[in-house]
Amino acid sequence: MTLAASPPRRRGPLSAWRAWRERRRERAKERGPRRLLANYLPPEGVPLNFVVAGLGSRLVAQIIDIMLTLIGTLAFIVLLNLTDAVPQTALSAIAALVFFFARIPYYVMAEILWNGQTLGKRILGIRVISADGRSLSAHAVTVRNLMKELEVFLPIGLATAATRMEALWAVISLLWVAGLIAIPVFHGRRQRLGDMIAGTYVVRTPKAVLLPDLTAEEGGASAAQFAFAPHHLDHYGRFELQTLERLLHQQPGRQRRAALRRRNELMAEVAGTVAKRIGFTEEIGESSAEAFLRDFYRAQRGYLENRKLLGDAREDKFHRDPESADR
Amino acid sequence: MTALAEHEGDVEPEAAHLIRSARFRAEREDDWQRLDALLRRVERRGIRSLSFAEAERLATLYGKTLTALSIAREISLDRNLLTYLEVLTARAFLAVYAPQQTLRGLLRRLLVYGIPGAVRRTGGAILFAALALFLGGLAGFLLFQDDPTWFNTFVPAGLGGSRGLGSTEAELLEVIYSGADAATDQLGAFASFLFSHNTRIAIFVFALGVVFCMPSFALTFYNGLIIGAFFGLHADRGVAYDLFGWLSIHGVTELGAIIIACAGGFHLGLGVIFPGRMRRADALRARGRDAVKLAVLAALMLLVAALLEAFLRQRIQDTELRLAIGWGIGLLWLAWFLLSGRRPA
Repeated sequence: MTLAASPPRRRGPLSAWRAWRERRRERAKERGPRRLLANYLPPEGVPLNFVVAGLGSRLVAQIIDIMLTLIGTLAFIVLLNLTDAVPQTALSAIAALVFFFARIPYYVMAEILWNGQTLGKRILGIRVISADGRSLSAHAVTVRNLMKELEVFLPIGLATAATRMEALWAVISLLWVAGLIAIPVFHGRRQRLGDMIAGTYVVRTPKAVLLPDLTAEEGGASAAQFAFAPHHLDHYGRFELQTLERLLHQQPGRQRRAALRRRNELMAEVAGTVAKRIGFTEEIGESSAEAFLRDFYRAQRGYLENRKLLGDAREDKFHRDPESADR
Repeated sequence: MTALAEHEGDVEPEAAHLIRSARFRAEREDDWQRLDALLRRVERRGIRSLSFAEAERLATLYGKTLTALSIAREISLDRNLLTYLEVLTARAFLAVYAPQQTLRGLLRRLLVYGIPGAVRRTGGAILFAALALFLGGLAGFLLFQDDPTWFNTFVPAGLGGSRGLGSTEAELLEVIYSGADAATDQLGAFASFLFSHNTRIAIFVFALGVVFCMPSFALTFYNGLIIGAFFGLHADRGVAYDLFGWLSIHGVTELGAIIIACAGGFHLGLGVIFPGRMRRADALRARGRDAVKLAVLAALMLLVAALLEAFLRQRIQDTELRLAIGWGIGLLWLAWFLLSGRRPA
């Protein structure tokens, strides 16, 4: 009878796919442009945030590591060969030994001694951290690099042997490699199999600079040209405030005249929009647009911070609270 | 609201021109800069470049900055400040919680306590693995007695070298006692080929144990079959004793490595079959601690076996001496496993 009430809508595979893509895009928008490893909990109990390293940089780091170890071992063997330090007969045994140590032992020792970084990871600015918020243990490093034998070196070996394989084996190994690649691609925090078993993440080495506080310049409130009443400050939330912060942090520096003019125009336009929105009726001169925005930023931040302390955190101009905006 | 603003105004007259979060920052910024400077040194030259007092200060500043971060998250809307503090504390966390062990200390702990302890704890799995190999050998030998053409089925081409069903006693003996005059670099190449072959087998035997132990058992059993068929061939020509010596000198260690790798696989697989009160993934992770030590041990034993094979096997022509060396080294392994690290550190 429900059938009679609402005839089933025809949903072809194409529209289902579109809906799925739409959902994915929305989720990606909510997550933000970078993959955040949020709420990483160190023993002190204050959650920290890390940015998960992209698969591209991990791939490049791996390639660099392979190149470096290969070049290193080959150079060592050629040098041994040239100097005649060891008899010819022992050379191949020594070569096998060196190649053995240039693989898993190199990665394990590098990641223990250099705090989660191999040479390639160092160059790319990424590192391994332990998932449990404690220091990286030798066990975890060993496990994730033992699995590297299956996840990285075995596929390379298979690729070089692919032309000599029977069809069945070629298909099986293709499936194996495809599965291995699929795991980190579809994993939200980009863990490969070895990372999952060892309990580790690969993250970007954090970097940031502290810029001067925008509210703490030249005497502050006493030097302010513009005064704002509480009803002026009730319109915006955190998101708008921090967008304005980003704009104001762009220092003019030694820009060319055209760039400076464009910046001033932008400031004037933003100041006009803000004034209109908050119902600010005083005249703002073209030249004092930036001063107006600074004063407004200062007043707005003080106001919003106070509201937040009183339990009224405003995420954006719709006055959502942060929890509902996260969803 | 106005009451709050007035209150704000008369708290600290000297910093009255700053809003609360800016005052918060002004009071603590010096600490952050000092921490930043320390961290830059640690990141470039390692934690060892700090003096004792500096390392102590690093820990204190880390705690202070962590507190500052959690306050800032509550009271400040300054995005740049929050990002900076997040990054600063993350960097400090990485510096403070870096692995502190030295390589020597790690190796010592692994060799004295880790590996022998793991071997003793997984004794059952090791016996089981040895049984798999032995049963394989027995089956191979009996099948060969039954019908010698099994040899071609079991032994992959290339592994037996030039030896096959058509080989005569003299040919077999020649391989066993060739060496002193044979081209040794060729032997070295063969040894390194065998080494990579064995490592690959060991890795598969270990890793595939996860699938309910079955692939590990099958592969180990198959390895036993090869050896059994080999023995069958040599016994048929009446040179089994010589083969025993030839295999013993490195084979005790090498087959030991395969058994250990297989036991590691069993240890993991048993976690999947009987996880007890844990979830299977957790059981695997818990059992991984011993299994990985077994894998490292297997790699070490394979390395030693390859060295024995490359340098000693053909140099020493006397069967009794080969037996003594091979089984002597086997006894040394056993003594290490059973005796080392009994007393806690």
